[in-house]
Amino acid sequence: MTSYARLIVEILAVIIGAPILGAFLMGVDRKITARMQSRQGPPLLQPFYDLIKLFRKDAIAVNRIQIVYAYLHLAFMVLACVLFVLGQDSLMLLFVLAFSTLSLVMGGMCVRSPYSRIGSQREIIMMVAYEPILILMVVGYYLTNGSFTISDAFHSSKPLIQTLPLLFIAFVMVVAVKWQKSPFDLATSHHAHQEIVKGITIEYSGPYLGVIELAHCYEVALFFVWIGLFGATHWLLGAALAVAAFFMAIVMDNLMARLTTMWMFRFMWTIALGLAMTNILWLYVK
Amino acid sequence: MREVLLLLSIVGPVVGGILAWIAPDKVRSTLVLLSALMTLVAGVWLSTLGSFTLTLPSTFAPLATGLEVAVILVVLGLAIKLRSWLVGLFSLLQLALAGWTLVHPHSDSTHLTLTKTAAAEGLIPALPGQLLGDVLALILVLIVSVIGSLIVIYAIGYMKNHEHHAPATAASTGRFFFFLVAFLGFMNGLALANDITWLSLFWEATTLCSFFLIGHDGTPEARKNAHRALVINAGGGAAMMLAGVAASWVGCGETLSDIIRQMPLLPLAFLCLAAFTKSAQMPFQSWLLGAMVAPTPVSALLHSSTMVKAGSYLILRLSPAFGPTKLAPIIAIAGAFTFAVTAAIAISQSNGKKVLAYSTIGNLGLIAACAALNTPLAYAAALMILCFHAISKALLFLCMGSIEQTIGSRQIEDMGGILHRMPITTTCMVIGMVSMMAPPFGMLFAKWMAVEAAVSSPIVLLLLVIGSALSVFFWAKWIGRVVTASYHEDYQVEKIAFSMISVPALIGVAVAVTGLVAMPMFRFVFKPMAIELFKGRAAVAQWNMLGAVDAFMVWPLLAFLVAVCVAVLLTLITFKKTQIRLPFLCGENTTDGDRTYQFTSLMDKPDYANVSSYYYTPIFGEETMGLWATPTAALILMTLFGVICI
Repeated sequence: MTSYARLIVEILAVIIGAPILGAFLMGVDRKITARMQSRQGPPLLQPFYDLIKLFRKDAIAVNRIQIVYAYLHLAFMVLACVLFVLGQDSLMLLFVLAFSTLSLVMGGMCVRSPYSRIGSQREIIMMVAYEPILILMVVGYYLTNGSFTISDAFHSSKPLIQTLPLLFIAFVMVVAVKWQKSPFDLATSHHAHQEIVKGITIEYSGPYLGVIELAHCYEVALFFVWIGLFGATHWLLGAALAVAAFFMAIVMDNLMARLTTMWMFRFMWTIALGLAMTNILWLYVK
Repeated sequence: MREVLLLLSIVGPVVGGILAWIAPDKVRSTLVLLSALMTLVAGVWLSTLGSFTLTLPSTFAPLATGLEVAVILVVLGLAIKLRSWLVGLFSLLQLALAGWTLVHPHSDSTHLTLTKTAAAEGLIPALPGQLLGDVLALILVLIVSVIGSLIVIYAIGYMKNHEHHAPATAASTGRFFFFLVAFLGFMNGLALANDITWLSLFWEATTLCSFFLIGHDGTPEARKNAHRALVINAGGGAAMMLAGVAASWVGCGETLSDIIRQMPLLPLAFLCLAAFTKSAQMPFQSWLLGAMVAPTPVSALLHSSTMVKAGSYLILRLSPAFGPTKLAPIIAIAGAFTFAVTAAIAISQSNGKKVLAYSTIGNLGLIAACAALNTPLAYAAALMILCFHAISKALLFLCMGSIEQTIGSRQIEDMGGILHRMPITTTCMVIGMVSMMAPPFGMLFAKWMAVEAAVSSPIVLLLLVIGSALSVFFWAKWIGRVVTASYHEDYQVEKIAFSMISVPALIGVAVAVTGLVAMPMFRFVFKPMAIELFKGRAAVAQWNMLGAVDAFMVWPLLAFLVAVCVAVLLTLITFKKTQIRLPFLCGENTTDGDRTYQFTSLMDKPDYANVSSYYYTPIFGEETMGLWATPTAALILMTLFGVICI
């Protein structure tokens, strides 16, 4: 009974805690970005205010199917976070995550807006570009620990960054895509300096856009913690890795301009995938 | 009872087909329907009776050879008619091999002693006869009888419509239904045959069905593609007979069980070659793509859910034999290579049927790769793909057929907005496409297991990873195009033949239900089969992997799906039409009447906003990829024979 109670507490903690962490990180991101651009920047809690405001707006949509996809996007993103904290199979976690992104893509494609459709297709190409790297990372977990589960990766004897250093670099590149950071913010961007018309989410508004923003909070938190998994032997190491990667992503975001889709695809399938494969080959040779 | 059911499911459809051919047009539909229902009931009943082996009386041996010679003579006749020296060569070779088998009958004594020792070792069921219905064979029988019969029922409505639009050169509908219905019998026979002679008889018979059905419309293109299918499959048939001869040459019995027991490399390689031609693996993929000119029920039945599965089935059946040998890694790489390359080419295709064809070839490759990985988990994954792919692809092809007849195009780009014109068909189609790649459906679980099982073979792993990433691309593109919906909601149920709505709806429900129970099915059907086959053979790590997959918690997944359903229902109920707005195009929308996809452009002129999908033809195009991929695949296959010589 106690184990069930613990399970439920854990699940509730993720469902409530993850978006708070995510929104907080996004607030920090905006603050740092503003300071890098010599601006005052919004208050730290601005993402929370934004979300609350979105949910209090009128519910408006272009068609009904669009709404279904927004919910699917959120549900699978939350599920991915839950699976992560429950220490489940990481490959299945990736598939759940991919389906969450795919729901967002479908939501963008089911309306007759050219901006939304172009954004959606870019999002798919981004997914195709980074998915192999994520799967190879999971294979790296298996080759290190003999298990695919997150819980075994968490309890590995040596920090994962020691056995998977190149995969870590590739993974941080993937996370930059997931965080919608330049030069990879092709489908949609958080910052107005990159686009005049929003991409994939242009036809969402009010509470439905709020649902998608909420899902993004979960996504930001999930990948932040996931980077930390590479240093899971000591919480300080993990936190340091996560914070460093987060800061790096913000710096890059402010240094770089958005590049083309095909450039991103080539980059991912040559440099990032090459790094990942080299690391995997090391492990095979060993 | 079992003998009667066997007769009903193998000979029954053939008789039903003959009746449907000679019957007048009025009663044909009824006859076809009755034969389909009979096959369905007999097949399901037969598989509920459990595994069996049946030794036919020795008087049946000449019958098998006689029938086979008859079939080969038909192929030879076709070769002369088509003036095709290749088909002629293959059929003459087969004739010679059949003659050789008659002159050198394998002695029953060695056959019996061999099987007795094998039985004593517990490797194979005691004394396998000419017909062997183990769980694997019965699963195929079940697929053929249930899905096959449903497709035949769908075809009744489809062909009524097709008759009106078919070119004047098309063959009679009676002939069409003869081959379609009789095919079910041949396919059941193929699944249950254990003796190579019987196996190649049914193998050749399905090839003939395929040839006549592809060429049904009689257009130059149909004739050309039918010819190509015959050439490649006749080659496969010849390879299978060579396997039989090679088996008796190396002194092993001529049943599949004997070959599996003794693992002679040469017959195994020939059998795998035959399997690769049948399931259109690269470099033989061209015939299946050409076969898409056939009426769509044919593509659904023969070219996606059953006949091409014969190749995969054979590979799965033989996998315990070639698994430990040096053939296995090559077959695994060949299958995974096909999977990755076809997924890439499918991205560049805008013709819906071709996308389905490429995806079929790819998934068959995945089955071959999994079967050759030789671990319990991979084997279970292969079985799952065999089953779930058959259901999903049958559904997709049937929906494709209905859409094609309604909108008059196979192009994906023409399918925007069909959600309004054909809501039921489109819903089924989306279910089908989602079931190919999303949780909680069986195909996704199978791919998950396949990737996990492939960790020990890096090349296969990389190819699988690339293939799965690329296949998401073309499915997502297609779903996005199909569900694109405008703001005014006027759903009208499509007006097409009843069988063309009811069968896809039925299979659609079946796909959804099997999706929900995919993991229980793994636990209670596929896992025990894998455990049975790998008992005492697999390493500890491989068993651990099977256990880890089994321990995966599915309930959070289902709980979240239920939560989404509730949220969606609540929203849809409370959402009013007044809350709907127009999409932003590029300027102010023009709102009069239907012209809502227009916006006020430069100089107040209305303009259309339209975006089509990315295809990346310069990178993934058929020619570009084929240029290097087909020779590479051919090289991989040649290595199969190369390693035997070393």
